[in-house]
Amino acid sequence: MDYSNLRRQAASMKKGLFDQGHLDEQFRQVEDLQDEASPNFVEEVAVLFFKDSGRLISNLEQALEKYPRDFNRWDAYMQQLKGSCSSIGASRMKSECMSFKDNCGKGNVEGCMGCLQKLKREHAILRQKLESYFQLLRQAGPTGAATRPVM
Amino acid sequence: MTTSTVQGSPVKALIVEDTPIHAFILSTILRKFHCEITVAENGNEAVQLFLEGKKFDIIFCDKEMPVMSGPEAIEKIRALGESHVKIVGVSAGYDLEQSFMSAGADIFLPKPMKFDVVGPIIQEVMNKKNNSMV
Repeated sequence: MDYSNLRRQAASMKKGLFDQGHLDEQFRQVEDLQDEASPNFVEEVAVLFFKDSGRLISNLEQALEKYPRDFNRWDAYMQQLKGSCSSIGASRMKSECMSFKDNCGKGNVEGCMGCLQKLKREHAILRQKLESYFQLLRQAGPTGAATRPVM
Repeated sequence: MTTSTVQGSPVKALIVEDTPIHAFILSTILRKFHCEITVAENGNEAVQLFLEGKKFDIIFCDKEMPVMSGPEAIEKIRALGESHVKIVGVSAGYDLEQSFMSAGADIFLPKPMKFDVVGPIIQEVMNKKNNSMV
């Protein structure tokens, strides 16, 4: 197997994630923490992020269906999600979080609903792209047979 | 500063954080500085640890958490006479710094945390700890 080609593909994929605005500098900070003692650290962080963000999005969807509208609760959920996005450098998701919070502040229910749908799309896109990226990294790595955490 | 310059007995760090990803990342950073790490998921758990007689050299504390917020926990910890423990308030938004400092925190770090600021803080705590043991 041509490992150098796989590594080039992975590098190109990662560059694309940055160029398209899915990831920002914070992701590089997370990468800098990966070392021999924690060889899968970045992927572990990503798994945690998608588990946590999935839960928060689900909580938010349920909250949005309830009456009366509780903008404070919605904002609190989104503040948590925004924090998680910031930690991993999920830039486009973070932008949607901020738009949602803006709409919360204005009491704009339709705006909030629209932002949530965009957020879910960005979440799904980032998850798919990062899964592909990590899969390539595993294939390109020294062993080429690392175990795959469930995302 | 590199992790290899950190010497002496391990710094006992308490992370007070309800978001798993934040706790995981900060734990990884602190482990690089050979810290002994305990994680509390909210301010109340953190206070309980001190009531049980646990001692820490440094606390990294989030602001918004269920059960008890960071600033409230910090006030209670200081009220227990824990004046020597270094307390770092960590939260998104610079406007939250005042609530931490008023509660008794020593430093405020905004999220997302810049990892290279943690090393000097740990080194300072370690120096203080080792000097007090002489």
